[in-house]
Amino acid sequence: MSLRINFEVIDKIEALGSKGMEKCYNCGNCIGICPMELDILPRKIFRYALLGVHDKIVEEKEMIFSCLLCKRCEESCPSDVPIAENIRILRYYINHEEFKI
Amino acid sequence: MIQNFKRMKNKIGVYICQCGGNISDYVDVEKVREAVKNEPGVALAKHMMFTCADSSQKEMIDDIKENKLDALVVASCSPKLHLYTFRNVAERAGINQYNYIQVNLREQCSWAHTDKPKDATIKGIGLVRAGIAKVRLSKALEKITISSYNVVTIIGAGVSGMRAAIELADMGTDVYLIEKDHFVGGRPTQMEELFQSKQTGKEITERLFTEIKKREKIKLFTGAELESLTGNIGNFHAKVKIKPRYIIPDYDKKKLKEVIEKCTDEVPDEFNFGLIKRKAIYKNYDKALPDIPVIDKDSFNPDDKFLETYKDCIDLNQKEKILNLKSGAILLTTGFDLYEPNKGEYGYGNFENVITLHQLKRIIELNDNEKLMYNNKDVKRIVFIYCVGSRQTKGENKYCSRFCCTAAIHSSIIIKKRYKDIRCCHIYRDMRTYGKQEILYNEARDQKDMFFKFNEEEPPIIEKEGDNTIVKIKDVLLEGQEIELIPDLVVLVTGMIPRKDTPALANIVKAPIGLDKFFNEVHPKLRPVETVIDGVFIAGSCQGPKNITESINSSLAASAKIHSIISSGEIKLEPIIATINKDTCEWCGKCIEVCDYDAITKTEYNGKSIATVNIALCKGGGMCLPVCPVDAIEITGYSNLEIESMIDAINKEIKIESTEEVTPVDESEHKMKEMPEIWNKIIESLKQEQKSISQIAEGTNLSLPVITYHIMTMVKYGYVNPTEMNDMDEFYFYELKK
Repeated sequence: MSLRINFEVIDKIEALGSKGMEKCYNCGNCIGICPMELDILPRKIFRYALLGVHDKIVEEKEMIFSCLLCKRCEESCPSDVPIAENIRILRYYINHEEFKI
Repeated sequence: MIQNFKRMKNKIGVYICQCGGNISDYVDVEKVREAVKNEPGVALAKHMMFTCADSSQKEMIDDIKENKLDALVVASCSPKLHLYTFRNVAERAGINQYNYIQVNLREQCSWAHTDKPKDATIKGIGLVRAGIAKVRLSKALEKITISSYNVVTIIGAGVSGMRAAIELADMGTDVYLIEKDHFVGGRPTQMEELFQSKQTGKEITERLFTEIKKREKIKLFTGAELESLTGNIGNFHAKVKIKPRYIIPDYDKKKLKEVIEKCTDEVPDEFNFGLIKRKAIYKNYDKALPDIPVIDKDSFNPDDKFLETYKDCIDLNQKEKILNLKSGAILLTTGFDLYEPNKGEYGYGNFENVITLHQLKRIIELNDNEKLMYNNKDVKRIVFIYCVGSRQTKGENKYCSRFCCTAAIHSSIIIKKRYKDIRCCHIYRDMRTYGKQEILYNEARDQKDMFFKFNEEEPPIIEKEGDNTIVKIKDVLLEGQEIELIPDLVVLVTGMIPRKDTPALANIVKAPIGLDKFFNEVHPKLRPVETVIDGVFIAGSCQGPKNITESINSSLAASAKIHSIISSGEIKLEPIIATINKDTCEWCGKCIEVCDYDAITKTEYNGKSIATVNIALCKGGGMCLPVCPVDAIEITGYSNLEIESMIDAINKEIKIESTEEVTPVDESEHKMKEMPEIWNKIIESLKQEQKSISQIAEGTNLSLPVITYHIMTMVKYGYVNPTEMNDMDEFYFYELKK
């Protein structure tokens, strides 16, 4: 099943103030160091967010909400992606768009 | 016969180069020196660490002057590297440069035979002896001098051609600038704003054109096409056909405007890639230069009344003119064509919203709405697909077109600046925004353009789903997961291809075409603007994909090169060419067929036809030599006498006493004859049963090494065979061969 890019979702996430997600080059340092051993975060989830795939973002909500926001990943990120801030924005997005809070 | 040769050189200096070990590690230079020092004619033989070093050159010059040497042989590297270095040494020392011969010891002996040093030395001695034999018979030659017009014909008035014309004119050379189209400027006029200078291609063209008009030395011909080219460097005759504009030269501008307005005949506009229509009386664009419109006669169908009313503007009876231009050199700056995708390639031609990058550039320029419109529809999402028609590993265009990545990114930046709410997606193979153009790439990323990488094996697929066009790609960052985009416009980023008329032009000027079908230079690094045809130069993108900066670089390089050759009014050429014995030549025409340079013509002499060599065209290629049935052709410096003497010298016996290294010689056969009794003993003991080596030793009282040696030899010559191993797999048993 192919993922369809939704430019409206991209615009919404951008409007929430996401930044630097496109700098991720999928090295996986963040996953190696994650105390919660979240193996989708953040490299794939950011890609879904960049492509505006709403369903996939919602599908991974467990992961997004399990994050401790400890920022250990940010420290080891070679590309200086503000990971925790972007995760927070995605939580807001899910709350807003999916749970209508 | 050789002994009777009067002008034989008798004081030859021979220098053998060690090349700091490159040669002397394998070739024993001292042995070479010993072997050649008593050759006939040799007055002095030395070896040196580096013959090309300044101190060595000085030593050679001093030697030559002191000993009054009359010829020089240097055995060093390939003549491609240092032929001119040592010719120069000879000249400085007061001997003619053609009394110098270079022998290639490094590439042909030491580097080629690192595994056989002794044989390399033997070969080296042979080659040096041949060099000495040749130099003994060498004659002092002078360069051939021919006169030259200080005039250049430049074919193609694009940016490269115009820039070269200005430069040559400023250096004092007259220029004929020939443009096939009716307007100057070429491809850049179709591009809008250009990166770095922020000027448009049209502004650049205008600037160059104004400069050209200021210079009397430049004569510009538009609508002009090269029909034929004869002659040679210094003296080319170009026949140029000039197409008429059908507009009376001193026309009334206001009235002509009226004519254009009233003209009703319309055709698709080639300049705008058929996106709009133009009238039959047209200019490529509003400010196209020279500022005179052209009538496209094929599509212009006025009635008689129309012609009568405007007869002081239009003259449909103008005829083609033929010009004969004489010049010393030819510069080709014919430029490139844009790749036209095949029908169906990424949906091109099938879906109306699949266009090429150059069409997009025209759309942006022609669009005067606040929003970007295409086919009366708003454009919000644009997908660029890169490397269309370039870097095809299986297709024809294997090269990278260099300019297209930057052009596409630059277009996306311009679009984003000019129109709001547009998002550009780039589907690329490798982003090649090299050098300063990387700034653009960063700018595009900052403006939130999206980038997707694809491999040549898995190109994006373009499909229609209802009204939507869907682009499907496999996303590398999602481990090959297929994703879909729905753009309003798909832009194919197409590259440069050689012009369609390149083969025809190449045929006229005889310039070579490379594997990529662009014009080919002599050496990509060291002689980048010359072709193998003397006096024919290339610059700009007719040589291969280049951006404007690079095109101008090469056109300036070509102008400097051309000026240095033709400006003095005379040209010096290598004297090593073919000469024809007028008395023996019986004109069969065979030489003319094989000459690669068309340097031979038929002339009359003493009431018979003979072949004559054009000294300016002949390169001394030597193809004519073997085909001549009466042996009437000779190449200067490669006469039969010289070649035969070289062969004789190479064939002389070479003896070197081996000191360190002994070439292994097969001794087994020799020893077999010497010691038949050992063989007989072994054969005798093997007659009853198969035995191991130690068992044979027990029965024959011979030592183990001797038996081993002879058994191995006997195996080699097929007397015995190894059979099986003992139980512990330690040694073989041997038996007699049946």
